[in-house]
Amino acid sequence: MISLALKSALAALAVNEAVVTDFAARGFHFDVTVAPDAVEAAAEILNLEGFFLEAITGVDWLADGQMEVVYDYNHSTTPGRVVIRARVSRATPELPTVSAIYPGALWHERETHDFFGIVFLRHPDLSPLLLPEDADFHPLRKDYTP
Amino acid sequence: MSVLASSDCKETFVLNLGPQHPATHGVLRVKLTMDGEYIRHAEPVLGYIHRMHEKMGENRTWAQFMPNTGRLDYLSALSYNHGYVLAVERAAGIAVPERAEYIRVITVELNRISSHLVWFGAFILDLGGFTPLLYAFDDREIILDLLQAVTGSRLTYCYFRFGGVYNDIEPDFITGTLAFIKRLRERMPMYHNLVTKNIILIKRLKDIGFVPAEMCRKYGATGPVLRGAGVGYDVRRAEPYSVYPELDFDIPTYPEGDCMARYMVRLDEIEQSMRIIEQACAKLPDGPVMAEKAPKIIKPAKGDYYAAVEAARGSFGVRLVSDGTTTPYRLKLRSPSYSNLSLFGEASRGMLLPDALALMGSLDLVIPEIDR
Amino acid sequence: MGKENLQDAIVQFAPLDKLLGLGRANSLWPMTFGLACCAIEMMATGASRFDLARFGAEVFRPSPRQCDVMIVAGTISKKMAPAVQTLYDQMPEPKWVIAMGNCAISGGPFVFEGQYGIIEGADKLFPVDVYIPGCPPRPEALIEGILELEEKITGSRRWPRVEAG
Repeated sequence: MISLALKSALAALAVNEAVVTDFAARGFHFDVTVAPDAVEAAAEILNLEGFFLEAITGVDWLADGQMEVVYDYNHSTTPGRVVIRARVSRATPELPTVSAIYPGALWHERETHDFFGIVFLRHPDLSPLLLPEDADFHPLRKDYTP
Repeated sequence: MSVLASSDCKETFVLNLGPQHPATHGVLRVKLTMDGEYIRHAEPVLGYIHRMHEKMGENRTWAQFMPNTGRLDYLSALSYNHGYVLAVERAAGIAVPERAEYIRVITVELNRISSHLVWFGAFILDLGGFTPLLYAFDDREIILDLLQAVTGSRLTYCYFRFGGVYNDIEPDFITGTLAFIKRLRERMPMYHNLVTKNIILIKRLKDIGFVPAEMCRKYGATGPVLRGAGVGYDVRRAEPYSVYPELDFDIPTYPEGDCMARYMVRLDEIEQSMRIIEQACAKLPDGPVMAEKAPKIIKPAKGDYYAAVEAARGSFGVRLVSDGTTTPYRLKLRSPSYSNLSLFGEASRGMLLPDALALMGSLDLVIPEIDR
Repeated sequence: MGKENLQDAIVQFAPLDKLLGLGRANSLWPMTFGLACCAIEMMATGASRFDLARFGAEVFRPSPRQCDVMIVAGTISKKMAPAVQTLYDQMPEPKWVIAMGNCAISGGPFVFEGQYGIIEGADKLFPVDVYIPGCPPRPEALIEGILELEEKITGSRRWPRVEAG
């Protein structure tokens, strides 16, 4: 379970209210939306608590003109799923990398860059991972047409 | 490691492994920077079987995506069926009849055994032993026959439905399953005598390819890789789903973190899966296998949902984003081999190339699940 | 295709060609080359129960230079296509191709409007001799495909044909 100290530490970073979610209905325990430049700080907090990074992904909110980056964290001995979200504008989709803290993020961020064109600042290598080496398109953007 | 540290050799060369290489189990490619026989740097190159599953999720209805889940990890396809239906059932609030839950558990665990048997055969094949593959496939074919009678296919199952399963099982299936378990129980000592106690295997696996628990955490590795590093994390226990809380089973862990530990975890898991199946067959209740109130057209409420299951390779997660329509807005598949492979670069540094192949085999990779 | 793949010799030895065809047909060497799900059924075909060795086609070779049959077992992605083409080009003549499964035939379930990642069928890259439908095809279907190829090479069927029903 997620400790109170962790909840308040993450809630301090939240841009709006951090939500304790109903696990049976949603599949995760704690949902926090942070500012794009706070994802590193959030990762740092979770790293100190011994969480591992399950996945990073993006969602393209075309109507809002925004992209959402979703980080799924989990703990292997005291299970509790924490979801960290950050929204960036579609025009300049940039936010810092967390790969210095979690090297597992290297591939997840590259994949998110492949699919959505979201740029992770200070990431060592954002060349296409799943798409061909010379790919210059982002297929999971909602306005993508081949 | 010490050899590499003491080496002042500046001359390295790049060795390309794959995408067509028998030891990469498909179309994985690894760019290796070698210092003689030792690996300086290994960089897996993915995407050679990228099949656009996540894009396909966005242009078809919730139910139409089901066949895709059977083609992600074709060795334990039912776990992936299970992960997806769990996520959609959670999103749409569909309850599943108890009989269907038990059938799901029985078939998923059978599938896990067949997956581990293929891994066992292929892994030993990578290490240079051909015969165990023939034994493993012999046992596996019985499972495939059993599952084929229920699901209609041998590999790429599409058996689960939102609110239950497609087809009820026959009484033959239960007798066949129990007979198979009796047979496999008798054959497990043979596997151990033939392979586990083999001195060549021990020399190839013991103290080779260390993946410590902290490395697993940093890279998000789960499943037998994590349990082979001594951490008893299993989604079936950590976030109990289906009827697993009512069944008694152990989570095998080995603290060594080497290839041998991961090998032993998987063989022990076969035994635990057999225990689960036996209990589930004994407890199997009567009743319907489909929820009567399951809607024909699924329209989950707006929002995002997550569901995870323990697949044969680790934690498989599905993140759904629904905008309240009949098609998913976003469908993210978190595949276990992807994270498990991502640590290969760090874990293989300084290893001999043949040992690195043992490490790669012990991670149990299925490439279409990595590339999606 | 079969013999048409061979460079025409100036002098033809019809009985010798027949003899060579018979030898080739009954000891086909496929390539160990799995792309996706179908590769597992290809493994199962070679393993204990279905035992492809009964038909002389069990010598799976990892190197294209030692093979005469390429079994395209799985989806060919655009990233993989140049590698598949290279493997085909590296095989010595005479060579044959079996497209195993729907993905290798036409792209199978992964074809949709606006798809960006796969080649819709192995015959977009090189000529295919035998098509085996299925997703994935059963091992018996792969064996039948190999018998079909043998018939194509020799012109006559050595094994009895199984009738449906």
